[in-house]
Amino acid sequence: MRLLRVERTAALPFMALLAVLILLPSGPVEAQDVERFPGVSLGLTYEARYRPPIAILPFTGRFGGQEVASRVESIISRDLRYSNRFVVVDSLPDGIVGSEVDWGLWDDMGVDWVLTGRVEGSGQGYVLVLELHDVVFREVAEEGRFTIPEAASDRFRMASHIASDGVVQWVFDEPGMAASRILFSRIGEDGNQDLWAIDSDGENLRRVTNHRTVSLSPEWSPDGRRVVYTAYKTGLPRIYEMDLDTGREKKVPAVRSGDYITPSYHPDGDRIAFSIVGGGQSGIYLYDLERECCLENLIEGRWEDISPSFSPDGSRITFNSNRLGLGVPQIYTMSANGGEPRLLSPFIYGSPSYFTSPDWSGVGDRIAFHGRAERGQPYQILVAEVGAGNNRVVQLTFDGRNEDPSWAPDGRHLVVAGERSWGRGLFVVDAVTGNVRQLLTGVRAQLPSWSPSLAPKVEAELRASGS
Amino acid sequence: MMHSRLILVAFLVASVPLTACRREQPPPPPPPAEETTSEPAPQEDRDDDEARRAAEERARAVAEARGALEQRVHFDYDESTIRPDTERILLEKVEILQASPDVRLRIEGHCDERGSVEYNLALGNRRAEAVRQFLVNYGIDESRLETVSYGQERPLVAESNESAWAQNRRAEFIVTAGGDQINPPSE
Repeated sequence: MRLLRVERTAALPFMALLAVLILLPSGPVEAQDVERFPGVSLGLTYEARYRPPIAILPFTGRFGGQEVASRVESIISRDLRYSNRFVVVDSLPDGIVGSEVDWGLWDDMGVDWVLTGRVEGSGQGYVLVLELHDVVFREVAEEGRFTIPEAASDRFRMASHIASDGVVQWVFDEPGMAASRILFSRIGEDGNQDLWAIDSDGENLRRVTNHRTVSLSPEWSPDGRRVVYTAYKTGLPRIYEMDLDTGREKKVPAVRSGDYITPSYHPDGDRIAFSIVGGGQSGIYLYDLERECCLENLIEGRWEDISPSFSPDGSRITFNSNRLGLGVPQIYTMSANGGEPRLLSPFIYGSPSYFTSPDWSGVGDRIAFHGRAERGQPYQILVAEVGAGNNRVVQLTFDGRNEDPSWAPDGRHLVVAGERSWGRGLFVVDAVTGNVRQLLTGVRAQLPSWSPSLAPKVEAELRASGS
Repeated sequence: MMHSRLILVAFLVASVPLTACRREQPPPPPPPAEETTSEPAPQEDRDDDEARRAAEERARAVAEARGALEQRVHFDYDESTIRPDTERILLEKVEILQASPDVRLRIEGHCDERGSVEYNLALGNRRAEAVRQFLVNYGIDESRLETVSYGQERPLVAESNESAWAQNRRAEFIVTAGGDQINPPSE
C-alpha cells in the first residue's frame, strides 16, 4: 500500500483548490470555549493522516448494465466520501474526462488514484467490474468483480456498499464500514419504542420489531444475523434474541427477580453478557444463547454494574458501574473471567464527573463512552486507548449533545445519539478527522448499535479476482 | 370512630401537594351529619338508610385506600433516597397493605431525561428498591412487592424543564393482585 506520495507542484488552478481541500484541517483541532474534562486531551484519537485524492470516472454499462451504472457509481462515490479516507474527485466536466485514463492529466491534478467501473448485465442481475488505477505508477493496481442484483432488489444498495468497502480494502488494507447497518431504538408518537435499522449511508430506514412496548439496547451478533435487546413485553424488562432473517426469538430465562438489561455479545457469537439489576444485589451475567444454558455470574455487588462490552478477543470486558457509591457512574475494565475491575474513566475524586455507556471497538484497543465533567453540561463522547502501556483519554465531540457511542466495523467511525441546535437524531463521528455527519434526523432515536461488516465474502471475492 | 378516621384519611390524601397530577378524582367531601336534624323516620327506613350509608362509606373508604395505595412519590435529582414528604405517603400505604393482605404491588421506578438511558434503568431500579425496602422495613412481606425500572422511558410530563423533571423522577404503584380486596386501614 503506497499511501505517502511526494509533493507535486501545482499545474492547474483546480489543483490549488484540491490542495486546500487536502490540507484544510477537517476537524476541531483546537476547540475554544468548550467544556473540558480534567485530565483529558482534546481532539482526535489519531494523528492526522494524509487523505489521498481519488478520481471517480463515470461508470459505464454493457449488455444492459447501462441503466444501473450511474446509480451504482453514485452510491460508491458517496460511500468513499463518507469513509473520510479520501478526497473524492467526481462529477468532473466532460472536457476533462476521456474514455481512457489520462495519466498525465491526473498526475498534474495531484490525484493519486482513479477508479473506473463497468456494469455488465448477466443472466441474473449484474456484474460490476471495478478497476483501481495507480496514477504514480501508471498501472492498474487492483481489479475486482462484484455481483450486483437487480435494482429493485433489497440487496442492490448493500451490494454496491460491499464494492465500496472493496476499494477501501485495496487502498488501505483496512476494513471499511459502507456495508453495514445501524440498529436503534425509535421512540414513537405513543411513547413506545421499537427497534429500527438504517444503512450506514442513511438510506433504507426499516422497522425491525413491532412489539409496541419499550424495546432498548439493541446489539448486533458478530455474524450480523441476530440482535439481542431488552424489551418490556411482559411488563418486566427481559432479554430477547431475534434472528433478523426469520424473526424468530429466544428469551433469556428469568432465574431471579430483577430487571434484565443491557445485553451484548461475546465475540464467539454464542454467549451474551448482560445485567440483572434488582433486590439490592446486582451483577453482570454470562448466558449461552446458542445452547440456551449455562448462566454464570461474572461480578456482583450492592451496586449496579451494567452495559458490558467485550474486547475483540473476548478476554476482557468494559462496563459501567456506580460502585463508588457517589452517585456518579464510571467506566471500568475487567478480565472476562471476573476479578478486580480497574477504573478507566477520568474520574477525579470529589468531582461530579459522570461517565456511562462504554463500547469496546471491534478493531483495536479503544473504548468509547460518553460523559460530562460538571452537572448540567451536555454529554460528549470520549475515547480511551487501552492498549499495553497506553491510557490516553481524548474528548472527541464538542458540539451539542452526544450519547451512547457505538463503533463502526472500520474501528474509526462512531454512531451516536445526539442533538444540535437544529435538531436531534443520529450522527456519525469520525475519530480520525473529527468530521460529523448527520445520519438520521426528524426521528427520536436512541441507543444506536453499529453492525459488523455485512460483507463477509469481500475478502474471498477479492482473492478470487486475483488481487 | 370509623368515620373520623376516614375524614383523616381523606384530609391526608387531599392535602398532599401532588394530588393534582393523580388521575383519580379527589374524594368527595364526607356526607353532612343529617341524622341529628332530620325528622325521625320509621324504624325500617332508618335501618335501610343506615345500611345504604354504611355501604357508601365503605365504598368511599375503599376508593380512598386505593388512591392512597397508588399515590406516586417523587425523588430528588440523581437521588434514590426517600424524602420526608415521601415517608408520610409510604406509611399510609403500609397501613393499607397491612389491612389488605391479598394485595400485591408493583413498584415502578422512573427518572427524568437528563441521565444516560441505560444508567437511568439502574437508577430507576434503585428508586423502586428504596421504596420496597422502606415498606419491607415496616413489616410488609417482600413477596408482595415487585419492582421494575422504566428508566427515563415513560415520562409523566413530556417536557424539558425543572417542573417536568421533578414530576418525572418518581415511583408509581400498580396493584397487580387483590385489587378487589383492598381494605381501608384498620383501627
